[in-house]
Amino acid sequence: MERRDFFKKTAAIAGATALGSSTLEAATTQQPIDNRKVSPVAFPEKRPLIMYSDRPPLLETPRDVFTSALTPNDQFFVRWHMPDIPTHIDPETFTISVNGLVKKELNISLNDLKTKFEQVEVTAVLQCGGNSRSAFKPIAGGIQWGSGAMGCATWKGVRLKDILDQAGLQKDAVWIGFNGSEKAAYYETPNFIRELELSELDDHVILAYQMNGEDLPYLNGYPLRLVIPGYYSDSWVKMLSNITVTNKYKKLFFMDVAYRVPDNETESETPEKKFPKTKPIKKMNVKSVIGYPTRDSVVSHKSHVVIRGVAWDDGHGIQDVMVSTDGGKTWGKALLDDGKLGRYAYRAFRFAFKPNELGKTTIMTKAISKIGEEQPLSKDIKWNHGGYKYNGIDEVTVEVV
Amino acid sequence: MKKLILVTAVLTSALFAQVNEKVEVPYVPFPVKMGKGFDAIQTHCLMCHSFGYIINQGRQSKKFWHGKVIKMVDHFKAPMDEQAIKETTEYLFEHYGNGKLK
Ligand code: HEC
Repeated sequence: MERRDFFKKTAAIAGATALGSSTLEAATTQQPIDNRKVSPVAFPEKRPLIMYSDRPPLLETPRDVFTSALTPNDQFFVRWHMPDIPTHIDPETFTISVNGLVKKELNISLNDLKTKFEQVEVTAVLQCGGNSRSAFKPIAGGIQWGSGAMGCATWKGVRLKDILDQAGLQKDAVWIGFNGSEKAAYYETPNFIRELELSELDDHVILAYQMNGEDLPYLNGYPLRLVIPGYYSDSWVKMLSNITVTNKYKKLFFMDVAYRVPDNETESETPEKKFPKTKPIKKMNVKSVIGYPTRDSVVSHKSHVVIRGVAWDDGHGIQDVMVSTDGGKTWGKALLDDGKLGRYAYRAFRFAFKPNELGKTTIMTKAISKIGEEQPLSKDIKWNHGGYKYNGIDEVTVEVV
Repeated sequence: MKKLILVTAVLTSALFAQVNEKVEVPYVPFPVKMGKGFDAIQTHCLMCHSFGYIINQGRQSKKFWHGKVIKMVDHFKAPMDEQAIKETTEYLFEHYGNGKLK
């Protein structure tokens, strides 16, 4: 979101409130579900994580992992749409095809990708558009994630632009379709294909084969995935196998129905009256998540606690993270890490806290971006039927003993 | 020097070996409730995804479950006739319902 748009948006939100909130009464928003336990079963290359489904695999990262700016590969969340994922990919024979409106069709092997193009790295947050969906009431469509459908990694690969340059775009090229290798179980079910407009793809978009210095884990899209810094993960196609350049937009379920929000200024609607026009979710909004303490932590009276967590947005960067340890009455500034991982990465933050009162204490964090966008209270987040883009102020309540 | 290269090669293949073999995604048994309509669920709802998709939704109204079944048919082309839609909806409401019709 550009600065201009942001101010426009703030004004619109204020306007809506002034008109009266009666139409929004039916839908409310609260803190996302935070009490799910990790599954006893570990998936390939993963530690045990919170598990929603085995086919397709849906795994969420537990809260306590979000204390550092990089998320370990074996704790990184997993989200597939289709149950049929290749269980074996031979890195020697794997190729990525580039076709459609190009001057020269390409079939690039993994080895060529690693040796014949400039190798680049970007550290970026990968977050599902439906992360924290369980915050929405009444229930919004889709998996009822807590706040761990996200992670941040250093991705290494090749610029999409360099590949398209080598193929040479024809004059009328407008859209690029990306296919992964996941397949539906039933032949009529629409497959998961993404289409992006050429004009939105910049130099930061890469085809990554490495994550945090290792091959991509199988469940995170081995051997190759799209990385679109700043964007929600629905566009980061995994097990990328094909890139097709076209001049026409194809109608696709996962583009036209899923991963969309109401196309109005507040991106909201009511359960009774859905907003007819929608738009893709695209860029992430500003958000923070507390990694320590968690609801299971034991915090001692008058001890020295360091509250930790992560904050991010779509690449404008984080200005401040404000922390409250009295349920939102007073706020103080957290210390941010050096930011060396770049503007698309998590900023890890910490805040010294000495609990002087016994009993329940609520810790809250609010991130503010460099363009002044800040997290609203969860109860002020407006409902949308797909439960996308929740970014309420995070809360953890601990017992001080 | 030669030796060094060899060592690297071995290391690389060890890393690849994680996926160079067929990986096995574990089967997780989800507690599917038995009862009337169980057969319909087994036939119609486990073809494209696990039962985990259903239970994470929590207890919901009859209208909600009917809506989900219809979504499966309309958007994902689940091959189900009227009878199957009725049986699965009733099962879901019976076992994963919140008692409310709407
Ligand atoms: C033809 C394939 C297919 C069949 C059969 C099918 N589903 Fe689905 N279902 C899907 C797909 C595809 C998704 C979305 C997957 C994703 O995004 O992860 C989905 C998602 C869901 C969800 C998640 C919530 C949501 O709104 O997306 C629920 C609940 C669900 N299905 C219930 C059912 C039930 C109940 C049945 C049996 C009546 C059923 N499904 C049969 C394909 C199917």
